[in-house]
Formats: sequence, structure tokens, C-alpha cells
Amino acid sequence: MRYGIYLVPAAIVLTLGSLACKPPKTAEEIKAETQAAFNEGLQAFKDGKARETNPYATAKDAKAIPHKIQGWNDGWDKGAADKAAADKAAADQAAADRAAAEAKAAADAKAAAEEAARKAAEAEKAAAFRKAADAALVSIHFDYDKSEIKEKDRAILQGISDFMKAFPAAKLEIEGHCDERGTNEYNLALGNKRAAAALAYLKTLGVDEARFTTISYGKEKPLCTEAKEACWSQNRRGEFKLK
Amino acid sequence: MSRFLIRTFLCALAVPGLFAQQTEVVLSATSSAKLVLAMTSPKVTGLDEAKVGTEFTAVLKRDLDETGVIAMLQEGLPADAAPVKAWKEAGAQWLLSTRFSRAANGDLQLEASALDTAAEKGVFTRTYNANRIVPLRHLAHYLADDLVGRLTGEKGVASSRIVFVRQLSPGVKEIFQVDRDGAGLVQLTRHGSLTLSPTVAPDGRLAYVTYKGGAPEIWGQRRKDGPHEKFYPLTGAGGMVSTPVWSPDGKRLAFVQGDRRGNSDIMVLDLLTGRARRLTDGNGISTEPSWNPQGTQIAFTSDREGGPQVFLMQDDGSNLRRLTGEGLYNASPAWSPNGAMVAYVSRFEGKFDLFVYKLGEGKAYQITTGVSTSESPAWSPDERRLVFTSNRFGSSQLFTTDLSGRQIVRLTELSACQSPRWLRGR
Repeated sequence: MRYGIYLVPAAIVLTLGSLACKPPKTAEEIKAETQAAFNEGLQAFKDGKARETNPYATAKDAKAIPHKIQGWNDGWDKGAADKAAADKAAADQAAADRAAAEAKAAADAKAAAEEAARKAAEAEKAAAFRKAADAALVSIHFDYDKSEIKEKDRAILQGISDFMKAFPAAKLEIEGHCDERGTNEYNLALGNKRAAAALAYLKTLGVDEARFTTISYGKEKPLCTEAKEACWSQNRRGEFKLK
Repeated sequence: MSRFLIRTFLCALAVPGLFAQQTEVVLSATSSAKLVLAMTSPKVTGLDEAKVGTEFTAVLKRDLDETGVIAMLQEGLPADAAPVKAWKEAGAQWLLSTRFSRAANGDLQLEASALDTAAEKGVFTRTYNANRIVPLRHLAHYLADDLVGRLTGEKGVASSRIVFVRQLSPGVKEIFQVDRDGAGLVQLTRHGSLTLSPTVAPDGRLAYVTYKGGAPEIWGQRRKDGPHEKFYPLTGAGGMVSTPVWSPDGKRLAFVQGDRRGNSDIMVLDLLTGRARRLTDGNGISTEPSWNPQGTQIAFTSDREGGPQVFLMQDDGSNLRRLTGEGLYNASPAWSPNGAMVAYVSRFEGKFDLFVYKLGEGKAYQITTGVSTSESPAWSPDERRLVFTSNRFGSSQLFTTDLSGRQIVRLTELSACQSPRWLRGR
């Protein structure tokens, strides 16, 4: 029994001894623990916890684990820094996007304005073309069974020539027409002769004859159908149609 | 069937003074040269007698009256059962009897016979069979044609048809066909465009000009009853083309090609090879070709010597000579089916009239007489009549006339007609 007196302190000594003699942690272990704490700190930041909630700072053995405290804090700081960087990047991107959108809108508006201006110019040009065509493309008239260009129609043909020179892309069909007197077939030939006479005259005014086609309608398309000279004289005509 | 018939006995006496400068003689049709034919009432069993009266007897009488060689005895007719001698005394040279009967299957049979009243012996017997869809009026036409054939050696033209152009709306003209008596109107083209100048080959093939593609083109049928297809120009733009006319053998088409200098030339298109050959020489207007019946010569209108005149040439363009002498505007020549005459129109004091030039005599005869404008003559296949257009009742309509100009018949009540062509129906 008397050995017991020694056994208890021995046990205590052994125990304390064993505690006191716990071997020191290796560098790898510390590094691993630091990394683990770092990850915890990073996660804590992501979870929205405050930096003051570092569990290692309030642990009983806080003094023994400064690397964990530091690791946790580093992790939390890293999370905060990453977020700040991401926020900034997002803000920068948004700003860049806004700027790009604004630039594109401006460019679009400019293009639209240019297109509208071009269309307006085109429409104006077309209107001018139509107006010029309406003014220039006046019918000429012929004497009965004749295809000679009349003196009084020369101004009309000059106007047509001016029109063709002002609008180099314009092409015309010259139609020859006749009055109802005479045979259908002979009048088709006579209408061709009238269209040809107009073509020949325009050629002498310097317009390329390739820009004209000729067609004869003979007496098949009268403007007026009464059997009197007032009507016949209207029907003996050369018409100029845009092609 | 709406049909309006007018016999106009024009007062030929009042006019020759006016036309003395163009006219030598007015042809006269003497009724004494015609055979006087009388007809007993048809004997009818199995069908409606009134229908036979309107659709057969009346049509036959009109047909025979228009033949120019038969005169119907209309007045002082003996009773149907009277002896032949009584008919002879009434003036009839031939007595025609007809009998209608219906077979069990509904088919119709017409037996016709004619008797020479002087010799009292039969001169004509023929039986006609017709199914339900053949109208009675066609039987009348067939009988009229055969009676004329028996009398003259050449079949009549009662069953013939006329092809022509009609305006449907401004700028839209189409080709139509109508029976010689104005019945049976049929529209032959539907281009919805200006369609002009029909010509019909002996086998019935049609050709014409249409503006459906903008510029005028010649279209037609390559084979009988075949589709209408483009003949010319096959590629590219042809400029002004007009006036196709089949050669008598139906293998070639004469037509007119205009150039950009204002000339129009007669061309001939060989349908087999597709080659077109120019016959005239680019000297002003040459148009309105018309073949002689052998297909060896062409009559045409040309302004090469001033106003339009009728010329003749060989079908290779050689041997060109002027036909018409007097008048300032002679055009629209139509060579007669037997080749001895050329019909044409001539203008005098603003009116156009029909003339016939007899090649053998070297003389022109006036047919119509200045009542109004008459145009576009075309011969009947038997050469006894001309179809033409006239505005004598307003808008241009179709008429036919005999060569005396005294028996003018209005063909249809259709307005805005032009360019008639007359062809045999069977």
C-alpha cells in the first residue's frame, strides 16, 4: 500500500512530463494548419462573418497557435481583397459596356442620319428625275401618212436630248402611233417609221442611240376614237416612255 | 344566237361619177346566171318541226342565197305535193326535198335529194348522219355546200369560218373565230395583250402577232391543234415584227420586220429550219404580204414610190413590179384563192373602198362604193365573196360582199373587229 504514495505523484509527474515533453510540430504541420486556417478565414469572409470572429484569436491556446490566427486573418483578408477586386472589375466592365453602348448608339444615330440624308438625297434626285422626265417627255405629232419631224416639235426633241444628257442612266422607248385611217398593218410600219424619225433626230442631237428602243403600235392604241381631224391629229404621235 | 343580217342593195348608179378616176367598170351580178331552186317543206319524223324550220330550213335558205350561184324561189310556190311540172312553171329549175328521221339511239338522219324540173330526173342525192351534238344549222351548211358543189364543181363555203381580231378593252385585243353565218363565236387567244394579224394555214394552224412580252412577237402553232408558241424572234429583240402570213403549203411564214431606220421589209421564215430571209431591200415601207396560191409570188404594199401602192414580186424578191396605178393610197392586197385577182383597198376623198384587180385584164374594179370606210379584204375560199371591216354602222364590224358590191351582209353585231381571214370549215 505504501507504494501507492509514490505511485500517484509518479503518475502525475509522468503525465505532466509527458505533456511537457510533447514533441514540437513540424514545419509542414504548421504550414498545413496555416493553410487550413486560411481556407477557414476565406470561407468565413464568403459567409459574411466579421474579421473579429476569428475563432483562433479567442481560443484557449491562442498563444500557441499564432500561425492559425494569422492564417485565418490572411484568408479573410484575401477574401475581402478578392471581392474588392471583383467588384472593381465588374464596375470597370459595366463602365466599359456603358461607354461602348453609348459609342454604338452614337454611331448608329450617325449612320441612320447619313442613311436618311442619302435617302432624302436619292428621293430628291428621283423627284428631280421624275420632274425632269415629266417636263421633257412630251409627245410629238405628225402629218397624215408622214413621218417627218415637224418644225414645232424640234424644241420638244431638244428638251428630250437635254434630259438624256442630264440623266445619263435614263433609257427611253420611243412609241410610234397613227390615226385610224389606213390599214392596220401599213400603220404598224408607219408607226415604226415615225419612231425611227424621232430616234434619228435625237441621234443628231448627240444622244447615244443605244439608249433608245423603238416600238410601233400603229393605230392599235388611239388616245381618241372619234372620226374627225381634231382626234386624228392627237393620235398621229410619237410618245417617249422611260424604260 | 344573235344574228343580224342586212342585205344592202347599194345605189351603184349614184357613185361612179365620184369614182370615175379609179373605176373602170362595176362588176355586175346578173341574177339570170343563178340557178333557181325551190324547196318543199322538210318531212320530219321524231323531232320538233318548228325547230327544223328555224334551225335548218331558214339557215339553208340564207346559205343558198349567199352562194351567189343559187337563187331561192320565194314566191308563188306550189303546194308541197304539187307535181314537178307545177314547180317548173313556178320558175324552179331544181326542186329540193328533205326528210328528217331519228334513229333509235337518238342520232339524226337527213336525206336530201334534188330534181331537175325540166328533165324531171334526180340531180342530187345525199344522206347526212349526225349525232346529238351536231347542230341542225351545220347540216344546213353541209347540204348548201354540197348543192353548190354539184352545181359548180366546187364545194360551197356555207360551213366556212372567219378568224378575226377583236378589241376587248383599250390595249387588249384577242383573236376570235366565228362561223360564216355569224354563229358559234369562239375566242382563240387569251394573251391579255395586244394580239394582231391572225393567219390560218390550210390545215388550220394559227399564227399571229402578240405584244404580250412588251415588244411584238410572232406566235403560232407548229402542228395542228398544237399549243401556241413563239416563232420569231426566237432569241433577243426583234424590233418591229408584224403581219405573218402562211404560205399556201403552210411551211413558211411571210412576215414584216421593221428596222430602226424606219424601213419595213418583207421576210420569209422557214418553219422547219427557223431561218428568216429578207426579200425586200430596206427601201421605205414594205408590208402586208399576200401569197399567190402557188406560193411563188407575193403581193405587198410599199411606199417606195411615195404613198402606199401595191407591188408584186417573186418569192425570192426578184421581178418586182407595181400593180396599182391610180389613186394615192392603195394597200392591203389579198391574192384570190385561184390566183387571178388581187383585192385591195384604195382611198379616195378620205374614204377607203374595196377594189379587185383582175390580173388577166390588167384592170381594177371597184367593189364597195364610198358609203363609209371599208378595209382589210379577205377572200372567201370559193372566191365568190370578200369579208371586210367597215364602220358603216359605227365601230368597225365584219361584213361580207359579193363581187358586185350589191349584196353586202353584216356578219356579226360585234364591235371593234379587224383583220378578218376566211377559211374552209371542213
